[in-house]
Amino acid sequence: MPKIEVHEKLFNSLLGDSYTDEQLEAVFPAAKAELDAHDREEQLYKIELNDTNRPDLWSAAGVARQLVSYRDRSIAQYDFFSTEEETLDSEGRKLIVHESAKLVRPFSIGFAATGKVVDEEILLNLIQSQEKLCNNFGRKRKSIAMGVYRSDMITYPVHFEGADPDKAHFVPLHMEEDLTLREICEKHPKGQEYGHIVADKPVFPFLYDDAGGVLSFPPVINSARIGAVEVGDEHIFFEFSGTGLDDLLLAASIVACDCADMGFTILPVTCEFPYDTEYGRSVTVPYYFQKPAACDLGFLRSMLGEPLTNEQIIDALRRMGVFAIADNSMVYITVPEYRNDFLHPVDIVEDVMIGHGLENFAPELPNDSTVGRITPMEAFSRKVKELMIGLGFQEMMYNYLGSKREYIENMRVDGNSYIQIENPMSENYEFVRPSVIPSLLESESVSAHAVYPHHIFEVGKVAFLDETDNSGTTTRDNLGFLAAGSEMGFNQLNSLISTLFYFLNREYVMQEVVDPRFIAGRCGQLVSNGTVVGVFGEVHPAVLENWGITMPTIACEVDLTLLLD
Amino acid sequence: MEIDVRNLHPLEIRLLRHVSSGEPVTAQRLIEELNYKIGQCNQAFSWLTAKGYLEETDRTYRTLFELTELGKQQLEQGTPAQRIFNLLKAEGPHTLPDLAEKLGLEKSDTGSAFGILSKTKACRMGEGNRAEAVADEAPFEVKIATEVLSKAAKSPLEESQLTDDERAFVSKNSKKRGAAGAPLKLIEREEVFYRLTEAGSEAKAALLAAHITGEELGALTNAMLSTGSWKEGTFRPYSLNTAPARLIPGRRNPYGAYLQWVKDKLCALGFEEFDGPLVENEFWNGDALFMPQFHSARDIHDVYYVKHPSHAKKIEEPYLSQVAATHENGWKTGSRGWRYGFDHDFTRRQVMRSQGTVLSAKTLPHAKVPGKYFGVARCFRYDQVDATHGADFYQTEGIVLGEDVNLKTLLGLLKMFAEEVAGAEEVRYVPGYFPFTEPSIEVHIKHPVLGWFELGGSGIFRPEVTKALGVDVPVLAWGLGIDRMALMHLGLNDLRELFTPDIESVRMRRGN
Repeated sequence: MPKIEVHEKLFNSLLGDSYTDEQLEAVFPAAKAELDAHDREEQLYKIELNDTNRPDLWSAAGVARQLVSYRDRSIAQYDFFSTEEETLDSEGRKLIVHESAKLVRPFSIGFAATGKVVDEEILLNLIQSQEKLCNNFGRKRKSIAMGVYRSDMITYPVHFEGADPDKAHFVPLHMEEDLTLREICEKHPKGQEYGHIVADKPVFPFLYDDAGGVLSFPPVINSARIGAVEVGDEHIFFEFSGTGLDDLLLAASIVACDCADMGFTILPVTCEFPYDTEYGRSVTVPYYFQKPAACDLGFLRSMLGEPLTNEQIIDALRRMGVFAIADNSMVYITVPEYRNDFLHPVDIVEDVMIGHGLENFAPELPNDSTVGRITPMEAFSRKVKELMIGLGFQEMMYNYLGSKREYIENMRVDGNSYIQIENPMSENYEFVRPSVIPSLLESESVSAHAVYPHHIFEVGKVAFLDETDNSGTTTRDNLGFLAAGSEMGFNQLNSLISTLFYFLNREYVMQEVVDPRFIAGRCGQLVSNGTVVGVFGEVHPAVLENWGITMPTIACEVDLTLLLD
Repeated sequence: MEIDVRNLHPLEIRLLRHVSSGEPVTAQRLIEELNYKIGQCNQAFSWLTAKGYLEETDRTYRTLFELTELGKQQLEQGTPAQRIFNLLKAEGPHTLPDLAEKLGLEKSDTGSAFGILSKTKACRMGEGNRAEAVADEAPFEVKIATEVLSKAAKSPLEESQLTDDERAFVSKNSKKRGAAGAPLKLIEREEVFYRLTEAGSEAKAALLAAHITGEELGALTNAMLSTGSWKEGTFRPYSLNTAPARLIPGRRNPYGAYLQWVKDKLCALGFEEFDGPLVENEFWNGDALFMPQFHSARDIHDVYYVKHPSHAKKIEEPYLSQVAATHENGWKTGSRGWRYGFDHDFTRRQVMRSQGTVLSAKTLPHAKVPGKYFGVARCFRYDQVDATHGADFYQTEGIVLGEDVNLKTLLGLLKMFAEEVAGAEEVRYVPGYFPFTEPSIEVHIKHPVLGWFELGGSGIFRPEVTKALGVDVPVLAWGLGIDRMALMHLGLNDLRELFTPDIESVRMRRGN
């Protein structure tokens, strides 16, 4: 979930008021925000935003806008959006996307902002917006990359093309060397981080102005000249490139609204594509692309369980910054320019819920009478646990992931039927537990200080490969038990198994087996109704040695899934 | 001082009752008067001085003579001289080697014993070197040996109390140390003198007042019961303050017991349990929950992938087609969908179940309406393991299906959980966000111990989830942060402790 840092001064000016931490905490739920911390020394609020589908909230201006709407029942108005019907004058500012871009990154759009001197807080805020939009919403720049440039140095039109990575070159930000795009991928830290997005393409994205001045190599790095926005700059150009036009238009709208809220004047830029888009070949940005949404009032009221009036519904939506009208059967909304999260009428229902205030819905218990019950396996497990406890065993509970050493090497088995994790975070969690016995032995290996004898068991899940299943794996509920002590041996094990099976009311026979985990001739399989349901034996000294255990140990494992059937 | 006479052992009781203040108390005295063994004397002295009931007044050293093993044997069989005399008397003259052989004596012992007999004129060497008895009775020197030995058998002989004759015998027949060849050995004994303290006198008075004699019965035995002998005595009261020996019982793991309590609670609230395999596929783990395939939580850095088999063979129809269409264009769910091309390979990709909600989704196609379901599911996350993150952990989740469930019943359900499962004092609801629910609610509770915290997340399943899985009624979905309460319940503050392999730690752990 995105976390942002917001300057007190900027935030208060956006809110038009200052709030105590308690007051903020009280109003933050309207933006699904939480105040993580308030750093008084740095004068920073640290805010966590819970809605990953509301990128408009991931900035100081975004949170403030939502809170102001909620407080003042006001809907933010912006006059710089072109629509399907009305295209605003871009005064000659153009961004031309060339045909070659289709081979690598088909869309690039932009707009400019002016009329406000960039101070430190604004600059940090812009950098943060860029990072949140591109990383969290733009899938680490894969679908959205955003660049900020010094618009007064740009000669329009700006060009976006797929360029030869070995020919196109410029001096990237934070470097002094003139490098080709491919060299940037190899040498620049950002190139190493983001170069992979385009690395396998025949051409690389390249943004430059009509005078040949380079803006950037999206989605990797800006140029050191036009692409180096600093405190004191007053004219900014924003550019967004990526794979889907809707996401880019939304990102541009969010940044444009934020800038407008911070005092900038937004200057539209006409973006021209050499191919058809949903909004034509020429789109003037910021562009309002959202379609109206609607929700059936009966559905809305039944979802909320509350007979809200049309006025209450419209008021609730207004507090969310959403303009709405309603008739007898439907509520219709105008989706705010900076939002695109109304996928289904339920999304309108939620805004009504928040706008109306959750505290205004009285909890009610569901009326339906249903029968509670545990699974048959849970019932059987409980019986097994009760018996093991009666036999003097301590119940243990273990993690289900472990290392190759624990599950395979220490156990002297090949592990051919074990489930391996493709992307383990560490070799300690590389395999799924195929058996309870290694877990029990791990206990022994760390518990030599505990008074002997040890009697421990677990009823838990194990999983291993099984070709007959759709997943090629199977998960079982197993009982594993282990006893360690100077007198421990086969006879005790025999008695334990016999007692256990007697009280579980299951017949069994013991069958010789060769199992490297146990001493040959002192181990066996348990066969019940013709099926092998378990294994038992004196643990082999070589296994004990691998685990660093110096006490005779007996162990048994029973597949309860098979035994229950 | 409060005196608990139950803390006194019978040896202490009998001593205290027996002696009076001002009297010297010695081991010798207890041996003679109370028939104590020397070890018992030492125990009683050590316990009573530790309690301050006796104090030492003096110590002296005495010389004593004690029977050796040989002495015991001689006492039983007779001394060699006695036996030789008796044999010669009964069977007539014998050579010395014959005597030694018949009586099983060493030759040297035979010689020295005959020496005494001939010296006292009780025997003499006759013809053919054969010894013969001449006196009617064994001489005094032989008789006194038997007397001294039998006296010494009762208790060691005190040098100062011997007659001259006895002293003469003793000095000839004892060796100082390890006297294997002699019937007596000399020991030097330290004698310690004690006297009753004031506290001791009080203890004695308390014993007398309580009629405790020290002759009370100890452990009740099978024999006492079968003979009825217990009727003739009274039972010694035992101290209640003795440190108990440690027992190691067979026990539940307290975390497991807590989870079971939660399960039982949910059953009591009308929920039916569900369960499922640890290995899932992307379809159930994310697609069916309407999480777009490009969602950040579905990244290789959030979910554990199964190496082999990397893909499930197939995904159940018609759910696959319905879910795919819902992602692409909303299908018949009323949604516009995520508007991207659904990846049919990716959906079969196998992962370790990363959220308990998977089981809720899998329950939907065959759920009863109305229906309430829950599960405590082991889940896996690609996370650095630390005090608040485990590689695998339990999630408690569930659903409620019903024609008439809605936001208000969701709030009611959460309130019920907060009160019944968490013991909350106050409940607060805030809007939340989950990809599969809309609206979404977080429930925060004020816990008597922990204060305010987030108990869980919930919401109404998006129609994109329910309709694509064939369910047409609203479904409430909820998850509870059980582990936080489990940690509190167990007095722990590190999630890793819940699955500790340390036996001692689990043995000692208890719930609140």
